[in-house]
Amino acid sequence: MKLQVIQQRKLWWTISLAIIFAGIVAMILSWQKFGAPLRPSLDFVGGTRLQFELDCTKANNCQNPIDIAKARSVLNTEGLGGSSIQAITNREGKQVGLTIRTAPLDGEQRTKLQTALSQAIGTFDPAKTQIDTVGPVLGQQLFSSGLIALLVSFAGITVYLSLRFQFDYAVFALVALFHDVLITMGIFAIMGLVLGTEVDSLFIVALLTIVGFSVNDTVVIYDRVRETIVRNPGQHIDSIVDAAVNETLTRSINTTLTTLLSLVSIVLFGGETLKNFALALIIGFIAGAYSSIFIASTLLALWRERTGKAIAAVAEEPVALSSDEASL
Amino acid sequence: MGRQRLLLLLIAALVVGAIAIIWRVPTQLGLDLRGGSQLTIQVKPTEKVKEIKSDDLNAVRRVIEGRVNALGVSEPLVVTSGNDQIIVQLPGVNDPIQAERVLGGTAQLDFRRQKPGSDPQFRIEQQQLREKLEIQASLRKSNDTAAIAQNKANLDKTYAAIANLFEKTELTGENLKDAYPSSPSGQTTAQSIWDVALEFDQRGGELFAELTKSLAGTGRTLGIFLDGIPVGPNFAYSVPVQYAETGINGGRAVIEGRFDLETARDLAIQLKGGALPFPVAVVENRTVGATLGRDSIQRSIYAALFGLALVLVFMVFYYRLPGVLADISLLVYAILTFAAFNLLGVTLTLPGIAGFILSIGMAVDANVLIFERTREELRAGKSLYRSVESGFYRAFSSILDSNVTTVIACLALFYFGAGLVKGFALTLGIGVVISMFTAITCCRTLLLYVLGIQSLRKPEYFCPKLPAGTKSEASVIS
Repeated sequence: MKLQVIQQRKLWWTISLAIIFAGIVAMILSWQKFGAPLRPSLDFVGGTRLQFELDCTKANNCQNPIDIAKARSVLNTEGLGGSSIQAITNREGKQVGLTIRTAPLDGEQRTKLQTALSQAIGTFDPAKTQIDTVGPVLGQQLFSSGLIALLVSFAGITVYLSLRFQFDYAVFALVALFHDVLITMGIFAIMGLVLGTEVDSLFIVALLTIVGFSVNDTVVIYDRVRETIVRNPGQHIDSIVDAAVNETLTRSINTTLTTLLSLVSIVLFGGETLKNFALALIIGFIAGAYSSIFIASTLLALWRERTGKAIAAVAEEPVALSSDEASL
Repeated sequence: MGRQRLLLLLIAALVVGAIAIIWRVPTQLGLDLRGGSQLTIQVKPTEKVKEIKSDDLNAVRRVIEGRVNALGVSEPLVVTSGNDQIIVQLPGVNDPIQAERVLGGTAQLDFRRQKPGSDPQFRIEQQQLREKLEIQASLRKSNDTAAIAQNKANLDKTYAAIANLFEKTELTGENLKDAYPSSPSGQTTAQSIWDVALEFDQRGGELFAELTKSLAGTGRTLGIFLDGIPVGPNFAYSVPVQYAETGINGGRAVIEGRFDLETARDLAIQLKGGALPFPVAVVENRTVGATLGRDSIQRSIYAALFGLALVLVFMVFYYRLPGVLADISLLVYAILTFAAFNLLGVTLTLPGIAGFILSIGMAVDANVLIFERTREELRAGKSLYRSVESGFYRAFSSILDSNVTTVIACLALFYFGAGLVKGFALTLGIGVVISMFTAITCCRTLLLYVLGIQSLRKPEYFCPKLPAGTKSEASVIS
């Protein structure tokens, strides 16, 4: 199989742009609905999330499934009418617990709510309880520290790639990064609108990982491009890029495949806490492989063509392959 | 060959050492994995001190530490975070309600002197206070939030009016030696009424004697205030005239707050730990029940292990003999990385495990790069030995560049990120650095060693479907 990346570049760009466009539309809709481009979890906006499960070791405690209506009426009498309630279903398909998300509650309010719920529904197992309370200010901090980390890593990567390769390589690697981050965010924005998927602080971690991996893929192809230019300085950049992409294609596919194996099994069989995290990584890694193969490389070729550097001058790559064998 | 032997020996020694470390040094699990409570406490600046300095933050931390220790939780952890936050970890705590109450209050206790000529006003306000506190107590049993809030507002007015009638003295909670719940009736059940008994240190005893002396026989009272408000219906005491000469000696006092046992205990802990120099608030509370954390994690870890097993199978299936060696290198990698976590005291959290799993992906990637290169060289007709050598050599710059960019991202995350993000960056970063060693040095040593064994030196073990011509040529040269 030989990919014609340069020849069909309009097609690759259209595919990317279409997905990104759909994502941006979803983000605008989310903005109108939630005041944020993605449906934010309490990590970012503050609030209290309580998760209770019935204690099934007690007699007559677990016979009836959880009655959401009862829980709802308890919340209403506590003055927490606007809260969301969800039932937790165990692996046998029985409703054994519930998750409640409210405005931030302090300890007193929480205990009162817990007691009232317990009276209405049944005894909860303290070892299966989960409480998350985040103040609104703290959520802001989490978000801004994540964003700063993302931007600083962008800058660091750009500087490193400019040093090891050339500035235009770095710029298009960055374009590929934005592409992957945008696609992942876009798909989660759509999921937020359609399925109610929320993004938490793990999502920021996922975005950062995607950045790391995506640049990984791009660098491998760039490395090939650089090497080929050194060996055949007279060759046109289009054919160099085509060859570099195809020579590294097996590697790109195999690496993405092996990484996805663990992630897919987490999504299929893993605990709830990591599912969305793994899903974000899967989307991002696929986008990352795609952007390295079809976007970063074709943009580099186009740029070199337009700036009249399609055929490299002989003295252009002095740094190539500076690694010495001793360091192996 | 001598060099390969030496390296092989070194790797074996490292693995043995790593296993010993894993055996001896326990892995530190984060609260999300073993269950417990993590509270983030925000220190707020006051009107007087607009900026929290690191000395201030440490002063708050020491007080919080004192209170946390008094809670009786095993292995608590209190650390500062950023410029104005303190993180408290309470392993095994399912419901941090007591901790939240005890850690949240500033607990500034002070003893105040009633101003001269305020008596008639004081009587009215004290009557008001008693009535409103009673209403508050009965309202608490009902669920009428609006009425409670209304009464609370009334109560605040009375508090302010009373505070106006008193002047501050030098005697504060800092002069305490001890504080403990005590029962005025002598009944020590949870249902009985509780007070908090105070023991002053020497300076406190002197101040108390002085204060009581100045008030004895005047009819004016001594008021006990906590965080600026009266401690309860019986917060004020008149001092009998016989103490006019000496004051009350002995250095003891009682806060007759008419508390329930829980409140009395909380207050005693707060007073003993000392007052917080700044107001604080619990801004984050993350609590995971012990079995909940375990269940969720176990499932994720099993799932990830299943995925990794597939990766190992894939490597052997696709890359043949080098795949087997890469798998061995991966196992070495996992052992070394795990030992590094234990040795460096990395606390494993959920994102940390995710970082670890991803770093395994990076390690595999390095091997994939090398083996693909080796195959290319073989197809180009080079000998087996030279193909392997140049596979490593030529893949090196790709591996280096891609790993350095990942490490850059990790550094940014570690430096700027908070909590979860930090743990992830640390494990991924350590993993990437170690994977450079195992995927390159370790795997290369194994491969070169294997090439020394005659029966394994067959190009088809390295690259199936080699064109016939190149194959024979390759075997001839090797």
